[in-house]
Amino acid sequence: MIRHLNIPTILTSLLLLAATTMPADEDRREKVLKDRTEVQADGHWIYNDLPKGFAQASQTGQPLLVVFRCIP
Amino acid sequence: MFDEQVVRRDPQVADLMDQFVCVRLVQANAMDLSLFQFDYDLTFAVFFLNADKTVYGRFSSRSDRKDATKEITLEGFRKALAAALDLHKGYPANKASLAGKQPLPPRFKSPEEYPSLRGKYQATLDYEGKVVQSCMHCHQVRDAERLFFRADRKPIPDEVLYPWPMPNVAGLSLDPKEKAKVRSVAPGSAAAKDGFRAGDELLTLEGQPLLSIADVQWVLHHALQPARLKAEVLRGNNKRALTLNLSKDWRRQSDISWRVTTWDLRRMATGGLVLREATAEERRQANLPDSALALRVEHVGEYGDHAAAKRAGFKKDDLVVSVDDQAGRLTESELLGYLLQNKMPGARVPVAVLRAGERVNLELPMQ
Repeated sequence: MIRHLNIPTILTSLLLLAATTMPADEDRREKVLKDRTEVQADGHWIYNDLPKGFAQASQTGQPLLVVFRCIP
Repeated sequence: MFDEQVVRRDPQVADLMDQFVCVRLVQANAMDLSLFQFDYDLTFAVFFLNADKTVYGRFSSRSDRKDATKEITLEGFRKALAAALDLHKGYPANKASLAGKQPLPPRFKSPEEYPSLRGKYQATLDYEGKVVQSCMHCHQVRDAERLFFRADRKPIPDEVLYPWPMPNVAGLSLDPKEKAKVRSVAPGSAAAKDGFRAGDELLTLEGQPLLSIADVQWVLHHALQPARLKAEVLRGNNKRALTLNLSKDWRRQSDISWRVTTWDLRRMATGGLVLREATAEERRQANLPDSALALRVEHVGEYGDHAAAKRAGFKKDDLVVSVDDQAGRLTESELLGYLLQNKMPGARVPVAVLRAGERVNLELPMQ
């Protein structure tokens, strides 16, 4: 199959693929970074640090609420 | 968006959340699978824990591909938070009642130990570099679990194919605004036969105190086939003991079509086809009775292994009427289960479709 494709065709396909996937990745990257910045700034959450959460719960006697979030 | 309401500590739940140490985890990388056992198809999931790692309960459920929040509400979350705090106040005197809620020994202790994920991810996200590519998604744990069997040419077990069944598999529709309250009971279902009624509040199942629909799913996830599950329900002001009897094949009635991980099952079993049950009108037009197989090809994969069915000649809108010389009615979820438990990679399964009224015989390649 691949031997029927010429080099310009392959390059054009790769460029098209990059053009369609890059904005999605960039968008997600922004969301991931924004989530960390905003949630950490809020001050109510321990961010991506489970040992710190357990240590704080042991110290305070409070239960833990652990949220798993897949940022879309 | 539910997650935003929780992360911003919506006024409806803020006073209760203040009584917890709140931790937000946005990666599955290095996840402790001996502790965090939940429905990995979820994009939002909650654990209520003691500092000694005892699980009080879980929260978050899903049953729809497009609507991720159909089964969760802030009202229900508030009630789960309050119930978790009650369990915390009663701990450790209540520890025995929590035994069934604790995680079981996992196959692998972290996702990175699965053969299909080995060497692909670091333990932490690369915030300074390619953060998106460095992030392992929770659903990849389930994908890896299934690949563990498929790559070894073994049938994927029911509990791996049909994980975390919703209670409606037994005929129970639970109210998302409550912890585990029956909204309706499907006529003729197991729950109906066993005496459950709308309005019943499920207090315990198999002795486990229930904080949420997810807690009911936890019990179902680990239930045998068949199973007899003991329930304590509050009906009006009276507590009653009921038993939920589940048949040998109960789990296979689960709808897994909404799950993101079903995408990979479709690659393995249907060569990238997405199928849906034909409507009554489509059956009538095709002259197919209710008992007959009738799955409409809704999508044909275009690339790589997901285009295997396309290369085999399948087309969008084909009506699948026979698979492996069987023509009995199946849902897409049941068909995936049949193929993944009976047909190994490399096999070619005979399939008949109706296309513009004509019967066309094709072969579906298993991967």
